[in-house]
Amino acid sequence: MKNSKNAQVAIAFICMLLGIMISMQFKTIRKQQVTVVQKQRADELSLELKRVLEEKEVLMTKLLDNQKKLRDYEEAVSQNSSSFTIIKKELEEARILAGLSDVEGPGVTVTLNDNKVGIQQNATIDPNTFLIHDDDIMAVINELNAAGAEAVSLNNQRLIATSAVRCVGPVVSVNQTRVAAPFQISAIGDPDALEAALRLPGGVIDYLAPWGIEISIKKSEKILIPKYEQPLQFKRAITVYKKEG
Amino acid sequence: MIPILGLIVGIIVGLFLPFEIPQAYASYVAIGILACLDSVFGGVRSKITDKFHFSIFISGFFGNAILAIILTYIGDRLGISIHMAAIVVFGSRLFQNFAFIRRFILNKFQKQDMI
Repeated sequence: MKNSKNAQVAIAFICMLLGIMISMQFKTIRKQQVTVVQKQRADELSLELKRVLEEKEVLMTKLLDNQKKLRDYEEAVSQNSSSFTIIKKELEEARILAGLSDVEGPGVTVTLNDNKVGIQQNATIDPNTFLIHDDDIMAVINELNAAGAEAVSLNNQRLIATSAVRCVGPVVSVNQTRVAAPFQISAIGDPDALEAALRLPGGVIDYLAPWGIEISIKKSEKILIPKYEQPLQFKRAITVYKKEG
Repeated sequence: MIPILGLIVGIIVGLFLPFEIPQAYASYVAIGILACLDSVFGGVRSKITDKFHFSIFISGFFGNAILAIILTYIGDRLGISIHMAAIVVFGSRLFQNFAFIRRFILNKFQKQDMI
């Protein structure tokens, strides 16, 4: 009889353990499902596919546009007066590309800030671990450019082909101007595509987040990006015209 | 009766415990649950056949659970799912024990019916 009582209590004890584990596991799995990685990945990929298809569409129209432009040129050669307006339009586009005019359009603003909490709490660790460095900023800019950003600025400094971003002591130098955290990177382009590119799994955000760097991405319909302020100087580069024949 | 009460109490306690198991340990808990189930069925079987020994039951439960968790850990490290061994053993034993209990209970009822 005593043995039977013992058995019941022992089995009840294991049953209780079983119940605790089952309900805790249930909680964990349910939480997992909220942020289920695979689904997120699939969503991201479908977004990417959509973006690529859109990009193809844009490229296609651009191709047609260029073909039309070519025809316009050919026509313009015969009618001298209209060639002037076309060249003027071309110049406008070249200016946007070179960053020599203020531009406005939809895009994203990425704000990066140092991990201040980390610096305060870990006095013994090298504070450099928690600061934003030039390569972090470059990674974000690179990702934005790869996602089709048409104009990019860092703390209102327009980035052009010859712009350099580098650490100078505690601040960052861009276009020979020093800027400090928080870093605001604005980019004009398709806001959804730009944000998706930054949030890609294993992408820039995933790379920076473990360091505790504060990142916020704000999509906006209207972003103003100022023109490149410094004088352009080309002392050594000379355009080469291909000789015919 | 007491075991079912224990199970219910356990589920309630688990639901209201403030802390959660990190996702990385989910597979260990799963193995633990399997070990628990195995022990419960084994215990019920030994009880109805009057072969129940407290020390064997408790040591069996903890020993099996720990071995299974170690297997899972090693499997994780080696990239081979060794814990499948534990799952297969626990699983098959679970069904065996359940079949035994089922037959025992059915026999009992049939005897009562005959009376």
